[in-house]
Amino acid sequence: MRRFVAGRLAQAAIVVFLVTTVTFVLVHLAPGDPFATALARPGITEALRQQQREAFGLDRPLGEQYLRWIGNAARGELGWSISFNRPVRDVIADALPRTLLLVGLSLALSFALGIVVAVLQTERPGGRRDRWLGRILLLLYSVPDFWLALVVLLIFAYWLPIFPPSGIVDPVRHDYMSFSGRLLDRLSHLVLPVTTLTLLATAAISRHQRSALMEVMPSDWMRTAIAKGMSHRRAVRRHALRNALLPAITLAGLYLPALAAGALFVEKVYSWPGMGLLAANAIVTRDYHLVTAAVLISSIAVALGALLADVAVAAADPRIRVS
Amino acid sequence: MAGVLLIGCTEVKQQPQTAGPADIGGTMVVATPAEPGTILPGLYSTSVERQVTDLLFDRLAEIGDDLNSIGDKGFTPQLATRWEWAPDSLSIVFHLDPRARWHDGQPVRASDVRYSVSLIKDPTFGSPMASSTMNVDSVSVRDSLTAVAYFKKHTPEQFFDLVYQVSIVPEHILGNTPPAQLRTAEVARRGIGSGRFRLAHWDQGKRLELIADTANYRGRAKLDRIVYSVSLDFNSAVARLFTGDADFFEQLRPENMAKVEKDTSLRALPYPSLQHTFLALNMIDPAHPGQPNPIFGDRTVRRALTMAVDRAGMLRNVFGAMAHPSYGPFPRFLAVADTTLPQLPYDTLRARALLDSAGWTPGPDGVRTKNGQRLAFTITTTVSSATRKQYAVLLQEAFKRVGAAVNIDATDFAGSAAKLAGRSFETTLVTFAPDPNVSGIRQAWSSAALGKDGLNYPSYVNPIVDALLDSATISFDPARARAYSRRAFEIIIEDAPGIWLYEAPTVAGIHKRIHTTGLRADEYWARMADWWIPASERTPRDRIGLRPAPTP
Amino acid sequence: MTAPGQIASFTRPRRLLSRLLRDSRTRIAIVVLLIVALSAVFAPLLAPYDPTAQLDIVRLPSQPPSLAHPLGTDPYSRDVLSRLLYGGRISLAVGLGAVLLAMSFGIAIGAVAGFIGGAVDAVLMRFVDAALSIPRLLVLILVASLWGSLGLVPLTLLMAGTGWFAVSRLVRAETLVLREREFIVAARALGASPFRILVRHVLPNVAAPALVSATLGIANVILLEAGLSYLGIGVRPPTASWGAIIQDGAEQVSDLWWLTLFPGLAILVTVFACNALGDALRDAFDPRQLPRGTDPTFAAEA
Repeated sequence: MRRFVAGRLAQAAIVVFLVTTVTFVLVHLAPGDPFATALARPGITEALRQQQREAFGLDRPLGEQYLRWIGNAARGELGWSISFNRPVRDVIADALPRTLLLVGLSLALSFALGIVVAVLQTERPGGRRDRWLGRILLLLYSVPDFWLALVVLLIFAYWLPIFPPSGIVDPVRHDYMSFSGRLLDRLSHLVLPVTTLTLLATAAISRHQRSALMEVMPSDWMRTAIAKGMSHRRAVRRHALRNALLPAITLAGLYLPALAAGALFVEKVYSWPGMGLLAANAIVTRDYHLVTAAVLISSIAVALGALLADVAVAAADPRIRVS
Repeated sequence: MAGVLLIGCTEVKQQPQTAGPADIGGTMVVATPAEPGTILPGLYSTSVERQVTDLLFDRLAEIGDDLNSIGDKGFTPQLATRWEWAPDSLSIVFHLDPRARWHDGQPVRASDVRYSVSLIKDPTFGSPMASSTMNVDSVSVRDSLTAVAYFKKHTPEQFFDLVYQVSIVPEHILGNTPPAQLRTAEVARRGIGSGRFRLAHWDQGKRLELIADTANYRGRAKLDRIVYSVSLDFNSAVARLFTGDADFFEQLRPENMAKVEKDTSLRALPYPSLQHTFLALNMIDPAHPGQPNPIFGDRTVRRALTMAVDRAGMLRNVFGAMAHPSYGPFPRFLAVADTTLPQLPYDTLRARALLDSAGWTPGPDGVRTKNGQRLAFTITTTVSSATRKQYAVLLQEAFKRVGAAVNIDATDFAGSAAKLAGRSFETTLVTFAPDPNVSGIRQAWSSAALGKDGLNYPSYVNPIVDALLDSATISFDPARARAYSRRAFEIIIEDAPGIWLYEAPTVAGIHKRIHTTGLRADEYWARMADWWIPASERTPRDRIGLRPAPTP
Repeated sequence: MTAPGQIASFTRPRRLLSRLLRDSRTRIAIVVLLIVALSAVFAPLLAPYDPTAQLDIVRLPSQPPSLAHPLGTDPYSRDVLSRLLYGGRISLAVGLGAVLLAMSFGIAIGAVAGFIGGAVDAVLMRFVDAALSIPRLLVLILVASLWGSLGLVPLTLLMAGTGWFAVSRLVRAETLVLREREFIVAARALGASPFRILVRHVLPNVAAPALVSATLGIANVILLEAGLSYLGIGVRPPTASWGAIIQDGAEQVSDLWWLTLFPGLAILVTVFACNALGDALRDAFDPRQLPRGTDPTFAAEA
């Protein structure tokens, strides 16, 4: 087992390394650089831009820049963000928790909801409840995420202005609120984005869970339990669920990257300043260090997620050895 | 004559006109979609940075509302109470206000003036203003309150060059850091200036808070505090205005106007600005630099394409009734602007006839060709600006109707900036916001500005225009300068190196309780320290008072 | 009794088809997809206006739905109904094109890896693993926004280039399983070319999951293309794609609701039909009999 984990860890490390390198190269190859601001101002000479490039080491050969960044990253220093004018580490330290909150909360809710719905469906497979839930879930699964976010925003922030349309807190009054006021403020800003993400994720998780449960249905011990007199419903809840939890763990591992990468479209529509929006803006401003760092974080999350999922599966069922 | 007006009084209905002693105080929240990266004057590049810097720091003198940059006539004293010219005009003696203090209590000295000027001129500091202060040789200290500025040549705008471009910064705070490191140094973020506002609190990425400097030598600001509340993008910034989270938003778009009309707590505040936008036609072949562009090298083609564009119609489509047309290579509020110059008309029939006469015949697919070259080109623009994207699509269709096939190349800001600097575009939308001086025009349209550092994006060359702009720059008489500029503009319009599209409407959304004053075309915030809120219209946010926010 | 060369669980075509058609999902999906496809193909006949024609930029921009323009006009005074119809062409073209290319490439690579084995297999599969761990959307955004607006063909290639990994893993797994079987070894000893083995044996066995994957892949690509166009880095103006129509109205979502609602519904309906078909296919093939070792998430979003 230990060898298995060690092997997977090494694999994960290689993958992370590869992904980060590719991103680094891609972003640097693209036309333009971070010093494109204030174009139409007289006075910004090419010499000035060149000076800025030198100050940030951007005129050195690509290989040298890369090695320097890797060296710094190994020490935990992720570079300097030119667009924020702060260390990258601080910028990510701000954005990451926000994404973790949003996506973490949504995933927790969607897993709970997804499993419940899947169980409800498989209590009587093929029945009316199963079919109707299936259709609704398929609808949610097929909806474009930015569109759902727009529609939810339209309905609940503009046409019926119940919830705030953007941001994580009230921009001015938050600091002057009481403790409970601040809590309520944060919660009210969370409602719409979390609802959107939960709806989207529940659909995917539910569908996956349902097929996992269906697979487990005809197994021997299920039939035994029912033959022994247990109601079908109870059999599902007691036995099927336990066994079908394994695919859920696998799915959890696969959804981990969303935690770091952030649900980009939802963040964009609701102006939620998380990792997804951060990475997208960093690409546009050619903030090289920030982009690379953001991708690094997300690929670490992906690798960890896959690793955890595989390990959990292997630990739970020694018959399965992933090739 | 482009006189600048103090616009803003037009919207006021029955509000009290002057601030009484009880009307001191209040909080104004400014929603901004961009976080200021630096608050060191000399390094600013965005509008927010410029605004915050101007509120925290002072200049020696302030330009007049008519933006006359020739000589020192319009300027009013700020840090310098008076000044004397040497007889040969190669030096000016500035007498500083003895009451002036830095926010940390230290007095403002002539050595600070010397330091500020040398900092701007220091190449390692990297200030965009460096090239504008080339005529300033140095500053010497006669005594603690007297500074002497030396100039290399006697030019009409020498006073402007020194006084407008250089804000005075404290040597005792910044002097110990090498200029090259000031951009990222911690001392540069303290915002210790001599302005009527001081920096109370800067929560990076969230908000920046200024409070009134109560002991300021020019009198305390009427407002207690100004809070810059950072949003992620335009829409969330505007949203803050409408939800009441913010009191001021700098630039509304046409689609926001209806909402502002309906909102009883807000009003629209139009203010003058120096922005103008045009479609630059690259007269050099981007594929073979040094060779004229096969399409845009021909003056007839450029004029024809200009006539194909319904500028008034596009203006209405994009801006409603808000924007102003652009009358040439200048903003209408520039001192030497002339909006009566003859323009090329919108006439598609004539445009087609001109193209026919130039040898461009329509092919089977409707696209004109000449000697194997198709009348096909690209408009390079940025994805981020909705206005530009809209114009690009409208222009594409307009050109299609006279037989040109246009492709839109929409990249992000960095990509299009690279193309502009390298002149590797075919046509592109350019927005200029020049300094309010005559030499700014030269930096965009003379042959001296052709290279990578210059702003002559179309690579326009006309020796007559060069001579006229040079003459305008060295005239000490504003009327002569205007006459030379006018003639130069006329020729440029005839040569059509660009299609003059619009002057973006600059309309701010502001809460009705705030009274504004002194909206200058180059800086609408010039007198923000005198904006006030009547005591009778206070809201909870105004009653916070001068205590700083609890640190989170 | 199964003939050599046939896996016992391979379902016979006729029974499969009848099982499919009995499923209501298939029927709905086929009807919907047919409508979408036909309206896309016959768009020039059905559309009242040219999709890129700006009808009157002063008097007709941003009109709500009316008799003259049943789905309204956009800020450039273009008819939304016409743009919607032509937009279907883009979605279907990019979706089908990208998936066909991805399938072909993925099958080829997977087969090569499975057959040759050894170092080639290891390298290829490591690459695929690495590629699978990069979020697809991130790559698309990186490339599309860094290189400026892509034409239709580059966009399709980009989609294909990021979507073949799961299929290759599937085919490789199947090839590995088959490689050891006696009749394959015998066939190879007799001189049968790998290509022949691929076509006669591997392909029929991966056809089922590959088809499901393809159907769901089309749905995915349509969503991605819409997303990219919504961000402004998808198709080039003035091309009408469903995502681009939404983008045109993105600045004023609450005022120009018709620009968000109708294209969104079009995307939803088309993607729903594709997913329904994919589900029906998967159930028809009876998933419990899929070969062991197949990653069950191959059919989930890439």
